[in-house]
Amino acid sequence: MHDIAGVLVNSVISAALYATMAYGLAVIYGVMRIINLAHAGLMMLGAYATFSLFTRFGLDPFLSLLVVGPLFFLFGVVLYRLVVSRLPRSGATPSMESLLLLFGVWLVLQNLAYFIWTGDTQSILTAYTMKSVAVLGVRVGVPSLFVFAGSVLSLVFLNVVLKATYLGKAIRAVTQNRDAALLAGVDADSISAVAFGLGTAFAGVAGGMLSTLYAFTPDFGRSFLLKAFCIIVLGGMESVTGVAAGALVLAFLENGLSAWTTLPTSFQDAVSFTLLFVTLVAFPQGLPGLFARLRTAFR
Amino acid sequence: MRRLSLAAGASLAVFTLAAPLFLERGTLNDVWSLAFAVILASAWNILGGFAGQVSLGYSAFLGIGAYTTVLLSLKGMDPFLSLPIGALLAALFSLVIGLPAFRLRGPYFTIATIGVGEAVRVCASSVSFTGGSSGLRMPAGSFDFTRNYEAMVVLAILTVAVAALVKRSAFGQALAAIKQDIDAAEALGVNSTRFKLGAHALSAAVVALAGSLYAINFQYIAPGSVFDFRLSLSIVLMPIVGGVGTIAGPVLGALVFSTLQVKLLSIPALRDSYLFIYGALLIVVMLFEPKGILGLLRRVFTRRLRRFYADA
Repeated sequence: MHDIAGVLVNSVISAALYATMAYGLAVIYGVMRIINLAHAGLMMLGAYATFSLFTRFGLDPFLSLLVVGPLFFLFGVVLYRLVVSRLPRSGATPSMESLLLLFGVWLVLQNLAYFIWTGDTQSILTAYTMKSVAVLGVRVGVPSLFVFAGSVLSLVFLNVVLKATYLGKAIRAVTQNRDAALLAGVDADSISAVAFGLGTAFAGVAGGMLSTLYAFTPDFGRSFLLKAFCIIVLGGMESVTGVAAGALVLAFLENGLSAWTTLPTSFQDAVSFTLLFVTLVAFPQGLPGLFARLRTAFR
Repeated sequence: MRRLSLAAGASLAVFTLAAPLFLERGTLNDVWSLAFAVILASAWNILGGFAGQVSLGYSAFLGIGAYTTVLLSLKGMDPFLSLPIGALLAALFSLVIGLPAFRLRGPYFTIATIGVGEAVRVCASSVSFTGGSSGLRMPAGSFDFTRNYEAMVVLAILTVAVAALVKRSAFGQALAAIKQDIDAAEALGVNSTRFKLGAHALSAAVVALAGSLYAINFQYIAPGSVFDFRLSLSIVLMPIVGGVGTIAGPVLGALVFSTLQVKLLSIPALRDSYLFIYGALLIVVMLFEPKGILGLLRRVFTRRLRRFYADA
């Protein structure tokens, strides 16, 4: 693991998963200017939904994503209609009310999970959980490979939706300028509901995939939420390629630090907090802003 | 009206302080928890309510106070003498965090503080002098409930008084201006960073004092208890549910929370999931009554008055 190939392979694999987590946040932020703190709770719920499908019906965790995704989409739309849409709309910057409201949603979800599944640590053990194969000379766990494939497929799906359909164009239009989109006849409220559903579905799918890699409790998801924040802040909040770049930077830093330094593994989660903090303070516009600034500085 | 409420407050204070003479231990424990909750809620409210800077990282300050007290007591210091040192350290740490974090506004500040709280907890469970994740025990013979009880009640009263003084002072006015419109406040010559840092340091010091008393009372601390994220969020929820930015609101919120806590924790099925109620409360407050229980009471009360005058 100490060679550059190992770090690179592992970084790319984690980056794909990170990007899936972060896109859910980014879509909701882009369309509604809301920071969805409930994302952590939704990821946790995705993990438990996958777990329940696995233990009750013996459904393979990766096949169950096909159920979890649409289910969470519907859940997200309902959540938007019932709760989020009742808030006064955020202006150019996210409002404190929306943050606190979704924080409440997170708490409710988390403690609902404590009630249903208790606080015991759970994990999903399949026939291939312990298997590994060699990729470019690096041993990689089979679940990690499936997670990579699942992440890439969901990202491709999202990209096709955003680029090729009316819905995607409408989502991008509302993201760019809500008022202009309204003037052009886009039903911004319905688009917001759909975007919230998409973001929720991505959280559920990401949570389902996380459940095949890590053990989880109802408290699961907070450190991943911070990772996702870190990525969308790095990626410049709205840009699609930016999120991918942010995910790569974070994954590379985490893997590199654990491979090349003697930093204890418990500090690995602190990497994303530190990066988040440094980014927010030093270059709040994220990587695109940093590059723009560097370009003007060296002209 | 003001004189009346002052008199009522003073007699309540005397009664609570004399309570160990005639109340039993269980009730005193509940009053202790209430005082603890009042301190946390009112102190958070100075930065979060008056200045509108919602921080989710306050368990860091509580933990700093608690760890300072335990570590110094283990070195042989009287636990109560370590209180000001913990408060000072927490205030210093709040400046270190605040200097970069206050460059962020609104929700971005909030997210950064989640990161700070988590980072502090991770560090406390990884380094050796804090006893790692297994925590630390106070030296034997340092326990004195009555003394701790009196100190907690006095601190609670002082915290509410300080909050009331701050709200009425020029400092409080500046914080209110920052909350309403930070750019306008800056344009009027309010150095927003300096005021935010001041409010942060003040509330951090008070929370650290409460943390020290917490450590003395429970005799044992661990990163999982004093740096717990649930603690940070209870600190935030109490003033918001009670009535953010007011004096009575956080006290009301603390009263509701500590009563609920006792009731909910006694139901075995809800042991782990009691925060569900808090989450639901938060959603209801944000959607229907952003001014919290206090706002609701005021609305009901003024409607009653109006009806009364309409009938007369």
